[in-house]
Amino acid sequence: MSMFRAKKLDLGCFVNIKVIRDHTKRKVFAEHETERQALRYIIRNLSLPARTRAQAALQLTSMHCYTRPTQIRNRCIEGGKGRGVLRDFKMTRYNFRMNALAGSLPGVKKASW
Amino acid sequence: MAVPRSRILDLMKVQCRIFSTTFNPEGLRLGNKILRQRLKGPALASYYPRKVATIQDLQKLYPEFDEFIDEAEEDRLEGIKILKARGKGAPKKKRTAEESKKFKGKKR
Repeated sequence: MSMFRAKKLDLGCFVNIKVIRDHTKRKVFAEHETERQALRYIIRNLSLPARTRAQAALQLTSMHCYTRPTQIRNRCIEGGKGRGVLRDFKMTRYNFRMNALAGSLPGVKKASW
Repeated sequence: MAVPRSRILDLMKVQCRIFSTTFNPEGLRLGNKILRQRLKGPALASYYPRKVATIQDLQKLYPEFDEFIDEAEEDRLEGIKILKARGKGAPKKKRTAEESKKFKGKKR
């Protein structure tokens, strides 16, 4: 959501709205992670009264969806695509291939056997 | 040789003290596994590379040096100049309400 978005763009990679959105979600999640973990602890702790645990569960579900880790998706830093992204290189398979063939990825070499 | 339960509990207690874990011999669900998890927010938030200094920043910082030439910006300005010369440039920004209303409505 735009209320979480930084006023000034601080991204140095390929930028489109999906990348900005994902970046915002990451920052919002990092900000609220301790709160979420505290609520999760209360919910999982069976020694606490059921009422407290139910309240914690409600509070956790009522948090904004941007604070959820499941909203985060790894996107390509070269083209912003969300599918076929190699985690080690943060790139889609095509961009990875282009960069690897150009020799801009240290240690990556074309194999043939 | 069976070891008595009290001995095992003592051992567990010492183990918990040494490794600073919670002593929970009955195996109650106290949610400690949540507290044991590491925070992954900082790692996730640093996924995308951040903006480093751009040519515009350099130009702004050191106006006395004019060796820094932003090629992309130069290209853009040149393209605009060519378009303007051919009369295909973007229209001028309207300043007042009447000016902007002038060409509105259906074209016949």
